[in-house]
Amino acid sequence: MANKQRVSGSEALMLSLLAEGVDVIFGYPGGAVIPIYDTLYNYRDRINHILTRHEQGAVHAAQGYARATGKVGVCLATSGPGATNLVTGIADAMIDSTPLVCITGQVVATLLGTDAFQEADMVSITMPITKWNYQVTSASELPAAMARAFYIARSGRPGPVLIDIAKNAQTEMVDFAYKPCAGLRSFNPRPALDTAAAARAVEMINAAERPLMLVGQGVKLAGAEAEAIGLAEAANLPMATTLMGISAVPSDHPLFVGNLGMHGNLAANAMSQAADLIVAVGMRFSDRVTGAVKDYAPLAKIIHIDIDAAEQGKNLRVDLPIHADAKDALEAMMAGIGYRERPEWFALAARERQAEQGKVVANSVAPNGEYITMAGVLQQLAEVEDGNAVIVTDVGQNQMFSARYSRFRSTRSFITSGGLGTMGFGLPAAIGAKLGVPDREVVAVLGDGGIQMTIQELGTIMQNKIGVKVLVLNNSYLGMVRQWQQLFFNSRYSFTELEDPDFALVASAYRIPSERVEKLADLRGALERMASATGSYLLEIVVKGEENVFPMVPAGASLSDYLTTEP
Amino acid sequence: MNKEYIVIAFTENQIGVLNRITSAYLRRKINIESLKVSESSIKGISMFVISAITTEELIDKTVKQIRNIIDVIEVKYYDAAELFTQEIALFKVSTRHLGQPGRLDALTRRWNMRVVELNAKYVVLEKTGLREEIDSLRAELESDGILESFTRSGGVVMLPDTPSNV
Repeated sequence: MANKQRVSGSEALMLSLLAEGVDVIFGYPGGAVIPIYDTLYNYRDRINHILTRHEQGAVHAAQGYARATGKVGVCLATSGPGATNLVTGIADAMIDSTPLVCITGQVVATLLGTDAFQEADMVSITMPITKWNYQVTSASELPAAMARAFYIARSGRPGPVLIDIAKNAQTEMVDFAYKPCAGLRSFNPRPALDTAAAARAVEMINAAERPLMLVGQGVKLAGAEAEAIGLAEAANLPMATTLMGISAVPSDHPLFVGNLGMHGNLAANAMSQAADLIVAVGMRFSDRVTGAVKDYAPLAKIIHIDIDAAEQGKNLRVDLPIHADAKDALEAMMAGIGYRERPEWFALAARERQAEQGKVVANSVAPNGEYITMAGVLQQLAEVEDGNAVIVTDVGQNQMFSARYSRFRSTRSFITSGGLGTMGFGLPAAIGAKLGVPDREVVAVLGDGGIQMTIQELGTIMQNKIGVKVLVLNNSYLGMVRQWQQLFFNSRYSFTELEDPDFALVASAYRIPSERVEKLADLRGALERMASATGSYLLEIVVKGEENVFPMVPAGASLSDYLTTEP
Repeated sequence: MNKEYIVIAFTENQIGVLNRITSAYLRRKINIESLKVSESSIKGISMFVISAITTEELIDKTVKQIRNIIDVIEVKYYDAAELFTQEIALFKVSTRHLGQPGRLDALTRRWNMRVVELNAKYVVLEKTGLREEIDSLRAELESDGILESFTRSGGVVMLPDTPSNV
């Protein structure tokens, strides 16, 4: 073992973070982490600590960082309320497979269980929403716990880990020598590929007339974008992405037929329903993708490649489960794969795309000049950014319009709260993403509701001079709920109308340059000014109040029963 | 179809594994009938035996999710009929209720029970057997009106095959 150093638990924590390659963390100080912050003060040159304005901002920023970079995101909070403020982000990271190490302070070990000041039982609270969690009550446990935390967070299907550190463990001394975790006997993060199953998958693809590949976030997590596209090209398979898979395949790839699910593209959904074979890679057949399960893909055999066996057969029957890392499986499947022309199959895609253009897109993005639509904003933003920006969304209509109209050239460019659907995610996640990929343009697309859930993070942008572009689509409604109220609850807009502050004034209070646009004629110029701004910028766009996201598969309906307009 | 399924898990002997396993049942709203955690034949590895009445589809999905818990080394489910299971139960009977001499003797012989405590006030009887036997005995003592209290261990299970990973 390497030379041991005699250090405090807090210093052991810093050295562990450095050993894991961490150079940025997001956090908020408090009583139970003062010793950690005191040590961090000496490590300011090596660890960039971003002080957020709320612990929820810290965890979402860590998520944005992880999603943009593929590295483990790290956040730090004090015990009690600081720790419980992380809960939403941890749950979000769990359902969206985001690697996080969340460090929380805890009361001194002798006070555990006594309802001490700022004591909350974080190990119990986060049990169902962490991949693993652990309470450190003595400094001697800390290095091994950190090594395990990083290993578990990033290995296999990634997820959040929480390490709860009692205050005494932060100040006690420990002989420190970092030993990265190389494996655990109870955890197999890279299951051996069943090569016979891979060969069977190849036979099924070769025999299929109307195959469709579904690309989920697992493809990004496995770094298997090139393998997925390579297999699709070799077999001439059309590819569709889930919400979490968006940007894994370049938007202009000739085999790309669009996004799946509730507000997905007509071609992708129609092909799901008509396919004779579905090759699902790193996705989990969520209810937002399948619609009514009993009516989903009625003609298709299903191959499901996933690293998590619990996903296979969870939501629907699978004909051939392949329990493996996506990259391992896709590489193996290149052997013996055959190319097949599929003119009729691709003609269906073209027809559906054209139908969508006529029935939905034209009405949505080309307004009559009286007002601005969200669809139009996102389409123009895509043109202005030319597919190069990282788009980070909030949740609701802003998210679905972003998913539908953004264009991407490279992977890990669409960051959204897919599974949990967390309003307030967008602004802090964009901060984290920008810190992770500082050379890329990062645009947060937010609604007037969502920005106000974490609006305090404008302070984080100001203090740390983070060059995030903030695009607020202001319709003075909680738009997605309002849409459901309009379509399914007789237009009874129960508590979805918002009286908003002047967002430009708010931005200027934070010394962030801003602009407000109300007229269509001013839109393009404003988007260009935002894109060319060198630092942070807030652009508020007043959009049509009652705009709806179409197409829409109503909740619980079959993918074949979609709306393209108000009934 | 609802049936009794026994889940057997081998885990690291770590704080929190028990809660993570029971929370997998909780999420799917499956009521646990009995649960036993004890040291397995290997030091440091715990053995869980959990009985619940549910459907095969649900227990299969639950077991896959239990397998994802980091400290779980191996987990499988069995139809309760596949396993050799014994349970131990203790029955407390008031001495007064036993009435004439010889009744206690007859009872213990007929049910193959053992007297573990005998005093002026009460008798504690021990019965080891199948769940159904214990249920029948309990019903008999209750209908005779002589049962004062009752406790049972939950199933102690012998696996049909030795697990491979532990």
